[in-house]
Formats: sequence, structure tokens, C-alpha cells
Amino acid sequence: MKLPIIRRWFIVVSIPLILTLLYQFVYPLAFEAYVGKVNAPLVYNNSTELTSVEFETLANELSIDARQRAAAAIVAADQTPLARQVKIEMLMNTPSAIRNSEPKHIQYFRDAGIRRYDGPETCLHCHATMRIQHGDGSHATVNTLNDLVNSVHFKFQTEAGGFSTYGYDGRQVNSGGHKIPVGKINRACGIPGSFTWTGWAALIASHPEKNHGAEVLRSEGCGQCHIGGNYQPATEKMMPIGDVPNEAKNGIDCLICHAAQYDMNQRYVIKDEKGLRWNQDRSLRAALTVKSISSETCLRCHQHNMGGDVYQHNTAAKELGYINQRILHRGAKRGNPFSSEDDVHAAAGIQCTDCHIPEGHLIPRGRKGVDLVANDIPIKDVTCESCHGQAPHNQSEYRALLNGHIARLACETCHIKALQPDNVVLRDWVHPTWNAEEGIFEPTDIYRSGAPGKGFIFLWFNGNGTFLANALGSNPNGSADYNPLMQQVARITDPDVIAAVRHKAIELKQRYSDIDVDAYVEMATNPLSQLSPELLARREAMIANNLRNAMMQGESRIYPFKLFNAMMYEDMSNQGPFGAMILPFDYARYYETGDSAAAVKVAIVDPIIQRMYQEPFKRYMMDEFMAYFGITDGWKTVYPLVNEQLVNVEPHWMRQMGTLMVNHGIQSKGRECIECHAPNGIMDFNQLGYSAEQTAKLEQLDGIELRHKSD
Amino acid sequence: MILHASTLRLNRARQLLIMLMMMAFSLAAANEKVPVNHNACLRCHAMPTLAYRDANSNKIINLSIDSLALSHSVHGKLACAECHDGQFDRYPHQFDAQNRPLSCVNCHEEKADAAERHYQFKTIEEEYNQSVHATPDAPELKGFNCHSCHDPHQFRASRIGEPLAKIIHTNNQLCLSCHESARAHHAWLPNQEKHWQAVRCIDCHTPVTENDQTVSHQILKAEASNHDCVNCHSKNSRLLNRLYQYRTATNLEHQGWFNTAVFNDAYVVGMSRSPLLDRLALGVIGLTLLVLIAHGFGRYKAYQRITRNRK
Amino acid sequence: MNAIYLYPLWVRIWHWFNALLFVIMLWSGASLHFAGSIGLLDFSTARPIHNIAGILLALSWIAFVIGNLVTSNGRHYRVQWHGFIRRLITQGHYYAVGIFNNEPHPFHPSTEMKLNTLQQTSYLAVMYILMPLLILSGGAFLFSIYLPETLWGLGSVWVVAMAHLTVAYCLVLFIMVHLYIITTGETVTTNLRAMVSGWHREMAQEKTE
Repeated sequence: MKLPIIRRWFIVVSIPLILTLLYQFVYPLAFEAYVGKVNAPLVYNNSTELTSVEFETLANELSIDARQRAAAAIVAADQTPLARQVKIEMLMNTPSAIRNSEPKHIQYFRDAGIRRYDGPETCLHCHATMRIQHGDGSHATVNTLNDLVNSVHFKFQTEAGGFSTYGYDGRQVNSGGHKIPVGKINRACGIPGSFTWTGWAALIASHPEKNHGAEVLRSEGCGQCHIGGNYQPATEKMMPIGDVPNEAKNGIDCLICHAAQYDMNQRYVIKDEKGLRWNQDRSLRAALTVKSISSETCLRCHQHNMGGDVYQHNTAAKELGYINQRILHRGAKRGNPFSSEDDVHAAAGIQCTDCHIPEGHLIPRGRKGVDLVANDIPIKDVTCESCHGQAPHNQSEYRALLNGHIARLACETCHIKALQPDNVVLRDWVHPTWNAEEGIFEPTDIYRSGAPGKGFIFLWFNGNGTFLANALGSNPNGSADYNPLMQQVARITDPDVIAAVRHKAIELKQRYSDIDVDAYVEMATNPLSQLSPELLARREAMIANNLRNAMMQGESRIYPFKLFNAMMYEDMSNQGPFGAMILPFDYARYYETGDSAAAVKVAIVDPIIQRMYQEPFKRYMMDEFMAYFGITDGWKTVYPLVNEQLVNVEPHWMRQMGTLMVNHGIQSKGRECIECHAPNGIMDFNQLGYSAEQTAKLEQLDGIELRHKSD
Repeated sequence: MILHASTLRLNRARQLLIMLMMMAFSLAAANEKVPVNHNACLRCHAMPTLAYRDANSNKIINLSIDSLALSHSVHGKLACAECHDGQFDRYPHQFDAQNRPLSCVNCHEEKADAAERHYQFKTIEEEYNQSVHATPDAPELKGFNCHSCHDPHQFRASRIGEPLAKIIHTNNQLCLSCHESARAHHAWLPNQEKHWQAVRCIDCHTPVTENDQTVSHQILKAEASNHDCVNCHSKNSRLLNRLYQYRTATNLEHQGWFNTAVFNDAYVVGMSRSPLLDRLALGVIGLTLLVLIAHGFGRYKAYQRITRNRK
Repeated sequence: MNAIYLYPLWVRIWHWFNALLFVIMLWSGASLHFAGSIGLLDFSTARPIHNIAGILLALSWIAFVIGNLVTSNGRHYRVQWHGFIRRLITQGHYYAVGIFNNEPHPFHPSTEMKLNTLQQTSYLAVMYILMPLLILSGGAFLFSIYLPETLWGLGSVWVVAMAHLTVAYCLVLFIMVHLYIITTGETVTTNLRAMVSGWHREMAQEKTE
């Protein structure tokens, strides 16, 4: 009688045990095999142990500037330089002076006997949990590592709802029951490298001119900015179950955000027996300088997407690596820098987190996002109004009228007067150009401009966007004539821009003889011309039936939007009225050979792209993804590579330009009235949905005396 | 009786028809007038965020005008310059123009038809001068004037046609926007919420005047205001010479039972009696009393008979 | 002499308490309704009196219903449908004709049946139709803030007021008739005394029959 009871208990205990073991050990292996990724313990050479003497020397060095400054401020200036110098040196070396100006972690590490920085392990030693404050003022204590691993900074996607993004099918993304991971990890944006699965880390053999053909290795890939130090992004987080392996968690780079002195020259791709990954600064020196987050720490990565890599005040881009130097991306993504030279808030010492107020490791982007970039706290506002309040103009004689404009204009519309001139608008990935200085083939920027009407335009925006990053909004007069998806963002009409594109096309034809210049210009400036009449009709119907509602919501204001379109290889089996699934490039093949089609072939062999073209992935997320994309009959699992040949793959421009929000590079002095209110002003009132009569009225300034303003 | 009621209803219908026709006619008449063009000013002043922060008070001065409300207001037919007679044709407006007083009196007292107006502005001024709002030494009342309560760009004489509750709510909100602690001070009032829904603040806080104007502009101090329930809860309710007289064109007292029901959206104990029901009930009670007396008398007679028989 | 114990103590206490409340309610109610007329109570005095007495009356009604449910008194309110119309006509005929001819009373109260059919019908109407209506409409008055704006397209307070007033007038009629009818016992005070002592005493019938 006793035996069956024991057996029953054995079964009851062993089933969950076996399930746990399967989940903990078998599932990760199965998953790795499925997506073809590896995990291994990550080693960093600069994570070295210091002796106590070395430690104290370093400690002394790290506080010397601060101590000197503090002492110099005290010692009177009206004495001989030598006398002053002696006094300063005495004062700066008192124990209290050292105590007061030393970075705090020096004492913490000294007391704890920490003489080597081992990555997250070292940080979590003290910071296993952290107290966070929510937007409503309430507090919570969270597990620091989990908090970070589930943040957009680490996984750069989210399955949560709360997106202000609408699919072309009219549904708000992830508002329904079937939620799919969306964010930068799989975003079909204009830069195919954003397929982080295939573009995480690459070593490129360049042949720069100055080396006379000798090979120089360069680093490239998404991982240069993202904080995971693993061989690939946190793919595990895209699945409903499973966690990031501990090895990957140990690769998290805490210091790139938290250290005051982080050596960006340590950021380059390294190759070990398992593959390519990004190196990071794990020196004790960096760890000892840990302090509160500042703009400087954020801008190590984020100046890339604001001012750009070649922006002259991008300090991180000046330190490209001790070896395998990072490749600079020349056309700027937004061209609106955040720096004390070009932004009034940065100049005023305002830090990023003063506006983007974090809750632990979750950082809000604001509620208005046109793009599909994941947002940690989608319900949290990041607005000008939260500081500037009502009636922000106080100084000008025109203050009341300027305040009056706020009902219709976003602050950025007047206070961002231009983007950086290298702001890229049209980029041709299909026809790369040889960069002799760097010795690599680069995508050809067909058109760059930071000028209004050219590099960016003005659109009505209510905070909603489409799945392919098009700002949605409507003229408050209710006009149905305002239809940016058929007009402003689907057509370039500026003759200067068209001329520049033509000029570039002629230039490209020298290398790519099959280019038909007229057809090229037409495709680049009128991307709708790539659609069949049937698709065009479906597009118009989808805009009218599916997007009108999202456009009419809330209160729209006019915002500036940076324009962007790119020519890429597209899988034409998955084409809809707004574009087709774009295919990624293998960085090395692309940069080294300039054979863009070959680069696609290499990239799509990546196991995870192959999985994408299989039934489970189709069911899990691709059908839903495509529905948002405007393709109603599901994802076609027709793998576009057969016998080493691309099948049903064509180079195309996306069927409309993407619109990126620009919110930085704010100038204290806004635009002049006359810039907009003139017959050839920078704002096309007619296309913004104003009647001819209203436009005529808006284009004149009768009764407004401009003498003061233009002074 | 039935005949009487139906003729009454017929009369009522005819009155309604006439009223509707008059309304239609007046609308048509309004349309014939050339619409006043405010566009030049409203180009800026219709901006909902037209405002600035006053350098001295640090308060936001709102310069925005709701153009829809203006077009519905009593002043909507006036050109802006009829009240604001300064050099406003250029922007920025000249400083002296901004500080020029409004020429209200010009219209309201000096024009020929001034005497025929329902409201006499002289009287209003006299009343206002005795009001608590005209207390000159109270610091919180500095700068208090007509416009503190009456926005000239939205002012409408009386909003006949709107639900009574809405009129009362709007009106009371005006007072409550400054008198924030009013609720606590009215704790003594039975059914406070109901009173506030049905009665305007000014119905109790102004004296009843003889001058035929529906409400006085002399706002009374709390102590001097009406505390006596019967002033309202009686047949001669003072409410009847105030807002409630607007409720329908004809006097409530003479309306039939049905009309009272339809038009009466605020019942006031003691005031809103149904004369028909009262008369009917008292009649039946009287009749019953007579019947009972007669019955009693009959029984007495019978009793007398029986005693007589016994004897 | 035939004496039956008709009215248990709780019924008598309830009855007189109820009677007192009725007087108060009518008086204060009239003061509210005809506010400002001479000889009535002050409005601000009448209001709390009417409210408190009203609440007490509602409680007293609930006590009555419960009392009838848990004691045997309830059976007096159960209608015997058999011969109902005939009994009604007989009783009506007595009050309209017979009483003037000194005919004998057609109904003799017993412990099984203390109320005659006409009495029973009117009490049922009063206690189970008019009183609930009165209490409901009174309560609606008291909590008028929670009423919807309109009821069947009419101002809801107005509907409540009219219902309350109509019921009140009906109850005034009932009181008048009730006061008169109690004098129609064997002697003028027979019924009144019964309600005071609980004992219904009849002598004449015994002698005559």
C-alpha cells in the first residue's frame, strides 16, 4: 500500500522538476540552435586587477583636477605665482580636500577591497536592488538587473501596447490581443542594417588611400551603441518564454552610461573563437568615476542619431577605437544636435534626464512617437510645456502673438531653424560609392540637406504615426484635402532637390551604366510611381478608410519632420501599397566589395532570417507584422534565395518617405514671421489643407509691423 | 371641464406656433443684415493661446476671444472698433491705445433708445455702487469691474431656450470661480446641492427691487442676504420675478396641468403648486365632508326613531 | 355581553403612534405646501418636523408590515375571494340604506376576521398601495439630489411632488372617512374603545338575537 503513495509523490515532485530543468537547460539550447546564435562567457582584456599602490595612484589622479580647481578658487589671486602655487598645493592635498572632491566610488571600492571591475557583477554587489520613483510620485524597489534587461536600452523592442503607432490596416499597434515584439530589433526602417540580427558586429577590411592599398580592419554594427556585449542582440526577449542567458547579462556595459570617464576608444569589434562582438571599457579607472547620468554620458551614443557621427561637436566620434576603428556614418540621421554649441537647453546645462525623467532604467521618449522605436514608458510625457508652461514668450514685443501661435504650431517649428547640412534625405543602398579616403564602399547619399522644405518639412501631427513612420494629424479646419501620404511625404516637388538628385544620378551612371537617369529621378522623387494602378487605388482607399480616424484624433499642431527615403532590395512577394519587406545587407561584403546584391545574399542566409520565412515565425509574428504594414493577406514564406540567386527581389525606394521627429537643436531665437507668412514662405499652407482664401490670408502680414522683429 | 382643457391646449399650441414663426422671422431678419466683419481683429484674437504673462503680477493675461461665443453674444453684431476706439489697426498695438477705457456708456446710455431698454444702466450702476463688490478698501477686489463677471465678448442677455439647470450652473460657476469656499458657508442650507442646482446665487444675494428689473446688481453681504425659506417657498415666491419668469413666455399660474408638467423642470415646494390639483382635492374633501355630515344626520334621525319607538 | 380581544397591544400602540404621525405629517405638510399662509407653521420649522415625522412614519409602516408577517394579525388582511362581491354589496348597502333603517350590522368581528370586507379593501389599498407610494415619493423628495433630471420626459422632482401630493390628499380623505366610520359601531364609541382597550364589546346583538 505504501509504495503507490511514494510513487505518486515522486511523480508530483518530478514533473515540475523536469519541466524546470527542460526550461532552464534544454530550451535555451534548443532556442540557440533554432536561431543559430551562440552564447559563451565574455572576457574583456581591459578588465585588469590593480595593486593597492596602483589603486591609490589612480585615485589621486582622478580627483586632482577637481581638487586643484577647488583650492585655486580659495587662494587669493593678488600674490606672486609661486606663493600662490605653493598654497594651492598645500590646500589641495589636505585629507579633507581629497575626501570632498574624490569621486564617491573610490572610497566605496577602497573599503570593499575592489581592485578590478568585472562588469555587472561588480555593480550588483551593492546595487542588487534599486529604489525607483514612478511618474505619480510613488516608489518601488526593483531588481536592478531585471529592470535593465527589460528596458528598451537592452532589448530594444517591446511587446507592450501603448504605442502611438497605427498600422496601415487602421489598428493601433499591439492594442489588441495578439501582441508582437516591435521596436528597433526588427523595425523595417530605411537602413537595412537595423536588422540587428544580421548587423550586430562586423569587421570590415578597408583599403584606405593613405595606406596605399594595405588592409585596415574597421568595426561596424548596431552593437557599437547598444549596451549588450554579446555576439548578438537579446533575441531571446522576442519569444514569449525564456530569458537572456547569464553570459549575455554579464556582457552588459554599465559604464558607458554610468561612468564619467569612459574610454570610447575601447569600443571596437573583437573576434574570438565564438565570433564577433563589441569590446567595452572595463577598466577600474572608468568604474571609479561612476556618477549620476549626465548629458555627456548619454551623448556618447545618442549624438549619433542627433547631430550625427561627423557632427563637429560629437566627442565620442572623435575616439574611434585603439584598433579596428569604427566607421563613421556620414549622412546624419536627424541632424539636430544636442550640444552647448547648437542647443539652448544643452547650453543652459540642462541634462537629458531633466526632461526624459527615468523610472529606474526605463526612460520615457514622450507620448508622441511617429516611428516604431520601442518606448519604455509610453504613457509618460516629455514635452516643452512641462517646463515652459503656458504663454512662454515673455520678452518680445510680439509675445502675445507668438504665444497665440502655440495653438497651431509646435515649439520646434520655429525654434529649429535648420538641421545639420549633412542630414540625409535620400540614400541609395543599392548603388554604393567608393570612398577612397576610408577605402570602403558606402551607400550613396543622393540628397542631403538641412534646409526647411528640403531636408525637413512641416506636417500636422497629433502624436500618432504609421507603422512606417509617417506623422499623422489633420488640419483643425477639418479639411480632407490634407493628405500627406499621397502628397508631402510621397512626392518631392522642389526643383532644387530634383536637380540635385538628377546630378547625383548622372554621377552614379558613370559606375552603374544600367541606370536610366530619368527613370531614376522619377523613382526617387515620386516613389508612388513604383506602384501599379491597382496598388495605388488600394493605397488611397486604405488611407481614407483606415488612417483618417487616427489622423483626426486629438489636437494636431504643425511640427517639423525630417524626411528620409532609401533605395533597398525588397522581397516583392511581400509587397503592399506602402512598401515591401526590405532585405538586409551583410556589412563586410557590402563595404568591401560594393556588390550590394551579393551582400543581401550573404545576409539572408543568417538562420534567423531563414526562420522568418518559415511557418512558426509567420504564425508567431509575421502575419500580424504584415497586417500593420498594409498587407492584408499575410506573410508569404517564399524564401527569396534559391540556388544562390535572388528570386523576386527588386531594388526600390519605399513608397513614401519616412518622417522623423526632430526635437533637439533648439534655438533660443525663433523664426521671423516673414519666413512663413510670405507668398514663397517655407510653409506650404495649401498642402497643409488650407483653402486658397485662407492661404492667401496666411501669406500676407498686413498690419503687422516687422521693424522691431527684424532689428 | 374636458372641453376647457382642450381649448387651453389649443391656445397653447397656437401660442407656440406664433412664437416659432416670430423666431423664424427674427432669424431671417438677422440674416438680412450685413454680417459684421471681425476678421481683421480675430485673425489674431481668435487664437486660443493668445496671451502673455504680465510683468508686474506674473499672471497670464488671456487675450483670446472665442469667435463662436462672440457671434452669439449681444455684442456680436458690433464692430470691434465700436467699443475699442483706439489705434488697433497696426500690431504691436500702441501702448496708449491699449489703455484707453472702453466706450460702453456711449451705447448703453447715450443712444436714443436707451430709455426703452429693459435694463437701465444708471440703475445698474447705482445698485452696483452699493454692492459688496464695490467695497473699495478690500484688497482682493482691486480692479473689480463689470467685466469681472460679464465677459462682453460672450455676454448674452438671457439664454431662453437653454435648459434651466444649465443656465443656473453657468451663472453660479461665475460666482464660484472666485468664491471658492462658498460651499462650506452654505452648510446651513437644507438640500444644498438641490438648491444650487435650482437657484442662482444672485437669487438670494440680491435684494428684491421695485424697479421692474429681474435682478439687482447690488450683491448683498452674507448677513443681509435672504435666509427666509418662505421668500421662495410660497405662492408669491421671489423666484417668480427672477429667472423663473423666463421659463416660459406665459405665467406659470395660468397654465394648465399638462403644460405645467411639460415646462416645469424645477419644482419648488410651496411655489410650484398645481392649482387644478389643489382645487380638485379640496373640492372632493369638502364634498366628502358634506356627505359624512349628511350621513351622520341621517343616522341621528334613525337613532331618534329607534328611541322614540322604545319609548 | 360578548367581548372579543381583537387588538393586541402592539397593534394598538402602533395604531395610535401612526395616528399621531399622520396628524403631524398633515399639519406640517400643509405648512410646506401652503407656505406663507396664515395659521400654519413656519416653513423652516415645518421642514424638519415633516422630514423627521416622515422617516418615523416610514419606519412605522415597515414595523406594521413585519408585524403582520410574523404575527397572526396578518390574516385579517388576507382577502377571502369567495363571496367577496356579495359581502361588499351587503356592507355597502348597510352603510347606504340599512343604517338609516336601524338594520342590524351585517358584519360581526371575530378573532378570525376583525375587518369587514369594505374595511379590509380600503385598509389594503391604504397600507399596501398609498403608503408605499407616499413613502417612496417622500423619500425621493428627501434624496432628490440623486434623482435623474427627468422622468418620462417630465421634470423628475415635479413628478415626485405631484405623486406625493396626490397620495397625501387621498390619505386626507381616508382619515376623514375613517374617523367617521369608527362612529358607526354599536354605539358611537364602541370601535374607539376597542382600539384603546383591545376588547371589542357587543351587547345589543346578543340581546336581540
